Amino acid sequence: MTMLNVAGLSKSFGSRRAVGDVAFSVERSEVFGLLGPNGAGKSTTLSLISGLLKPEPGAVQIEGLDMALQPGKAKGKLGVVPQEPAVYKELTARQNLKFFGELNDLRGENLDRAIASVLEVVGLTDRADEKVGNYSGGMQRRLNIAIGIVHSPALVIMDEPTVGVDPQSRRHILDTVKKLRDRGTSVIYTSHYVEEVEELCDRVAIMDHGRLIALGTIADLLSEAGEYHELLITLGNQSLPEAATLLAIPGVREAFVREGSARVLTSNAEQVLPLVFTALVQSNCPVTEIKIKKPNLETLFLKLTGKALRDN
Amino acid sequence: MRKAMSIAATGFRQMIVDPMYVVFTLAMPIVMTWAMSFLPDVDGVYEMASLGVLVMFVALNLITSASAVIEERRGGTWQRILQSPTPYTTIMVGHFIKLFAVAWLQALLLLASGKFLFGAPWNGGYGAMAAVMTVYIFAMTGLGLFLASVLKTPGQVQAVSTGFVMVGTMLGDIFFPMENPSLAISLISKLSPQSWAAHSLKDILTADAGLASQATPIAIMLSFGLVLFALGAHRISRMEG
Repeated sequence: MTMLNVAGLSKSFGSRRAVGDVAFSVERSEVFGLLGPNGAGKSTTLSLISGLLKPEPGAVQIEGLDMALQPGKAKGKLGVVPQEPAVYKELTARQNLKFFGELNDLRGENLDRAIASVLEVVGLTDRADEKVGNYSGGMQRRLNIAIGIVHSPALVIMDEPTVGVDPQSRRHILDTVKKLRDRGTSVIYTSHYVEEVEELCDRVAIMDHGRLIALGTIADLLSEAGEYHELLITLGNQSLPEAATLLAIPGVREAFVREGSARVLTSNAEQVLPLVFTALVQSNCPVTEIKIKKPNLETLFLKLTGKALRDN
Repeated sequence: MRKAMSIAATGFRQMIVDPMYVVFTLAMPIVMTWAMSFLPDVDGVYEMASLGVLVMFVALNLITSASAVIEERRGGTWQRILQSPTPYTTIMVGHFIKLFAVAWLQALLLLASGKFLFGAPWNGGYGAMAAVMTVYIFAMTGLGLFLASVLKTPGQVQAVSTGFVMVGTMLGDIFFPMENPSLAISLISKLSPQSWAAHSLKDILTADAGLASQATPIAIMLSFGLVLFALGAHRISRMEG
């Protein structure tokens, strides 16, 4: 079931086009990664999806509800977790949750139950009646998430929720995202941390200069982009194999041989490795060490955007 | 309406838990109202000065409180409210209720302390007083929202509002009654909502002037508030879209 459908989304600020013709969908229970360098248009896209900005042109539908035609109902399906904690520090966590729960149409016992449940999810039950100003940064971020999900939205937008948090809070946040997915919630997740995206996201979209430049599962994107596994082989003596011998092995895309080592590029390391090993032994080139360097999102991102994911 | 009340109650709660706000909004003007009671016992001087303190602090309170929208935008809670299924008009109504509540609380405390602690001769006309205060509060809320829509930081609002309120009150024929004022001073007193409000309140509370006789100040303050409120609310709504 499609939870979010974004079609032809565009937005300009003056003469500068921030987002151009962006289209994608997010399915139920899917964690969808939205990546891109700073200024790529991610934040504008998220603001368009959440109804904070109006697309010119383009359409956003959340569970079939058009954001332009039925903004109240569409927004009711949506939870937003902004990058910086958007909380009232003078109030307690419970007061914050009560306020935003009420704005999201929760009342009475339903609201109390939702608050108790969400405090449990983010691990703040014991500190719920403390002023938020006394919380650590990580706790404020957890409350930030709790506010975004207190009304059990069908779709949650999480904009870099783990920036600047301690490892314990980070793990808690990642586990919270998994819990949301397990209970059927869809999540749009942005992050500059490759390992988080690889751990959480079922599919990713990469944006640059306001446009989508890649969309799919991480494995598919790596494969489509021609990213190869790299076998780095250290040889035990001076005799070297012929590069042609290695290139003749099915699945080997490129092979380089030089003093004491060989480097093999393949799209399937598991399949090729035993064949390469056998060929080297048969060529009287004993292997002392093999390292497998798998392609990852970081290298793909660098290749597509020319920028490192975490540096921007 | 329930959402508007939630917005108002949360905003009100935020304000009153801030000790600086309580000192600035309630304690300081009460002390100043008391200080004014030491002015020479000349007919009408204390009444006018006491009402001057009232309109000055209500204006400062409202303008700086309305600029809380800027703080909320910077802190992200404003966007969070807009991303909820709450119509924009409900959000503005909620803010308006909050501002009315804090301004009325402040005004009542100052009027009561003036009368019961420091001997201000308020002799009735409270219904007309309520009408004039309501219009004045509306005018200052409109100014606050307008400033929040054109200025970028609370510091800027503070600076502009202090200048506006001080000039309008100090040179508006309130604290220093002027005979044969210059054209500039005369113009300031005609343009200053504080001046209209203070004189109108004095006429009502001390001379039992009826509401009908206050049509001009009410119309001027109402127009002032309507124009600035409409401009401010419109500009703030456009900021998000």
